[in-house]
Amino acid sequence: MRHWRTTLAVIATVALVGTACGPSQESGAGGGTSAPEEKPVAGGRVIYGDVPDIQRLNPSTSNDATSSRVSDKIYEKLIIADYKTGEIKPWLGTWTLSSDGLTYTWTIDPKANWSDGKPIIGNDFLARVKMQGRSKVTPNKSVFNDVEGYQDYSTGKATSISGIQIDSANPKKFTVKFTKVFCPALANVFGSAPMPEHIFGKYTVDNDPSKVVDEAPENNAPPVASGPFKFKEWRKGDQVILTRNENYWKGAPYLEEWVQKVVADSTVLAAQLKTGELTAGLLQPGDVADLSKVDTLKLYKWPDNGYVYLGWRTNNPNVAFLGDKRIRQALMYGINIDEVVKAVLFGEGTKQLAHTPPVAWAAAPASELNAYAYDKNKAEDLIKSAGYTKGSDGVYAKDGKPLAVTVVTNQGNKTRETFLQVAVEQYKQIGVKITPKLEDFTALVPKLTGGSPEVEAVIIGWQLGADPDPFTIWHSSNVASPTKAGNNFVGYSNPEVDKLIDQGRNGPDCSQAARQKVYQQMNKILNDEVPYMFGFAQNRILATDARIRGIVPGPFSPNGDWNIHEWWIKK
Amino acid sequence: MWKYVIRRLLYAIPTLFGISVIVFLITRLAPGDPIRLYTFGALNVTEEDIQGLRAYYGLDQPLASQYVNWITKVVRGDFGMSLIYHQPALGLLFERMGATLQLAFSALFLQLVIGIPLGVIAALRRGSWVDNVIRVFGVIGHAIPQFWLGLMAIILVSVTLRLLPSQGVLTVGKDIWDIPDRIRHIIMPAFVLALAGIANYSRYLRTETLDVIGQDYVRTARSKGLRERTVVYVHALRNALIPMVTALGGLLAVLVSGALVVEQVFTWPGVGQFTYAAARQKDYPVIMAGVMVASTLLVLSYLIRDIAYAIVDPRIKVK
Repeated sequence: MRHWRTTLAVIATVALVGTACGPSQESGAGGGTSAPEEKPVAGGRVIYGDVPDIQRLNPSTSNDATSSRVSDKIYEKLIIADYKTGEIKPWLGTWTLSSDGLTYTWTIDPKANWSDGKPIIGNDFLARVKMQGRSKVTPNKSVFNDVEGYQDYSTGKATSISGIQIDSANPKKFTVKFTKVFCPALANVFGSAPMPEHIFGKYTVDNDPSKVVDEAPENNAPPVASGPFKFKEWRKGDQVILTRNENYWKGAPYLEEWVQKVVADSTVLAAQLKTGELTAGLLQPGDVADLSKVDTLKLYKWPDNGYVYLGWRTNNPNVAFLGDKRIRQALMYGINIDEVVKAVLFGEGTKQLAHTPPVAWAAAPASELNAYAYDKNKAEDLIKSAGYTKGSDGVYAKDGKPLAVTVVTNQGNKTRETFLQVAVEQYKQIGVKITPKLEDFTALVPKLTGGSPEVEAVIIGWQLGADPDPFTIWHSSNVASPTKAGNNFVGYSNPEVDKLIDQGRNGPDCSQAARQKVYQQMNKILNDEVPYMFGFAQNRILATDARIRGIVPGPFSPNGDWNIHEWWIKK
Repeated sequence: MWKYVIRRLLYAIPTLFGISVIVFLITRLAPGDPIRLYTFGALNVTEEDIQGLRAYYGLDQPLASQYVNWITKVVRGDFGMSLIYHQPALGLLFERMGATLQLAFSALFLQLVIGIPLGVIAALRRGSWVDNVIRVFGVIGHAIPQFWLGLMAIILVSVTLRLLPSQGVLTVGKDIWDIPDRIRHIIMPAFVLALAGIANYSRYLRTETLDVIGQDYVRTARSKGLRERTVVYVHALRNALIPMVTALGGLLAVLVSGALVVEQVFTWPGVGQFTYAAARQKDYPVIMAGVMVASTLLVLSYLIRDIAYAIVDPRIKVK
């Protein structure tokens, strides 16, 4: 059961968990799976299995993938990431950007109403920003830091946010002004769904910073919805029930209900899909062979916008040799990832060569990256070139210091544990000694984000958001240390990479073409420097009842449900 | 009698206090940091945000003052807000108590209606193959880990035979008052939870029955010409059951804590499943509330046991 829970927990830099899309088709036939003569019919429910229970249904204060899976169906975002390419497209709103790159002018779709019939307006986005700014419990407080006047409002120094102005003539029109150019704004800032001001507005009081939304009962029982489904009931520890929003601005969805049900672990999830107690759920690769034989189920597979890696601490004096690029490259050559993918993922994955997964527009073309084809001799040559000689114990050493590293991963995650076992075996063959260590996720996380010297190398994963900005992972200002938490666990610091990240983040040119160039360059450097053994990208595998139609999965819809309003069930 | 009850209740206070100190220390000193865990992966989270959250929950204070803050609130019935759910920890626990009690009482029922007859039959057929089978069952039933049995039951009964649902309390879409559906859901977890107890009771009762059956008053009853059934079930069993009260005491608490594993395997939305999840996420207020509620139940059930003992067995008097 830990396996899934931790997989879900290691969701980092999640800008847009759960949604991604191209323009909707009015016909409603989502494509892919439905034969042309099939006509969608309304009715039925999808029972989706998930391992942990949800935590909160107010996206301004929650930070877990399971809650997002539900709240994303209730609260619609202004934008959507194309499920295939990750490109940000208009959704609930359309935008224009001022020539200085600082001010976004938004217009919310004129048809868009809350489920109670009230129009969705600019004030609803403002309400979202305000409640998040004043919340004492949100982990997402800093999302709007670059919006003018936000920090003053958040700390109670100001009673309004000067950077957000609602058009007096058209309440659906508003502008958001930034203090500096912020390229990921579309995904990361406007990926925050507007929240109903007429419901939540009363909890945030402009001139009283002590009044916050944190304990509002509506956080756990949303009374109105802008998305395809309305909240019906949360039976804690058991299931959440959503029901069709007849007023959905893109037209009422076909499905009558969406039920998200808690299951014990991935094994039970697979079993329940077989028995029909569940009709949808994401699978672990180990269950694919078994479930693909079940003819009442249909399996969808797609590459993930994320990867599992072995990160080398480049700033830990205990393993100073990991600061040497030649050693890290040797470690890249010295492991047969195709074997790992076979052993760990039953073939459901691909070797990862740099930070940005190949599915993203920011990825460098494979032809421009070193593929690091498995080559033990080359690995040993690199180690020798760094001045190491093999000792009688078969381990390379220099000045009495052997190439020995302790690699830690979170206990209970079978994929990572097996990856670690294979690494021990294969690195031994090139004269590098790996000591495996398993640690509980709860204990491991603070050591990683706190830069503990106990961590010499780690196997863990990234689930990435729609915007490719890798600032929190690779910028030297995010190196994890005991005094400053950071996601740059490996302590990688490279001024050239910093400069490229800054450029991709703060422009001045935020066009996709300009950013693509910058990120491709960054990926080429990371591919050469390999601060991670970049590991593999695991396929995502969704199993559903074979009668469910309209599913169009893609890497930027990690749950495969971006077009849930187009799903339907064949009778 | 009342004096005794009040004295026992007063004794309970230092006991619970001691438990609270120990559990508080264990949860706080175990490696891990709930705030870092909770903010892990949040987009743009800054060190100031993390420090702000830590201060908000009082986790930046020295341990001693954290404990004092906690206990002064607890005395007023406030166990604090769950770090994960932002709802009162105690309220969240009580919401789940119903499911756990349903499971615990169903298991208790099974233990009594199956365990007692098995024990008596084994005693009456001492040395026969029936006795041997029941004794072997007793050993096995006690030795099988609940999680394993639960998973095997799911695979066999739910997946292969498709007889019973494997998870949760109710079929999706059924009315919450659909009693037959609820019974179908509770059968497997209740049996798994009950098994060790059934084995225990059958062994216990076998010994007690054998003990009682050899006593003089039973012989007297037989010599009066009473029917064997009357001798066994009216005279012998009644006395054999007296020590069972001891076993029953504390059972509730054991069932509640034992339900942790079963609740996890069958996704039974009770206190055990909830506390386990809280422990995994280092949700301190919920862990503390869970442990304190379970401890209080344990202390109370021992008290009830002792009182019941005195009522059932006239040879014992409470002072």
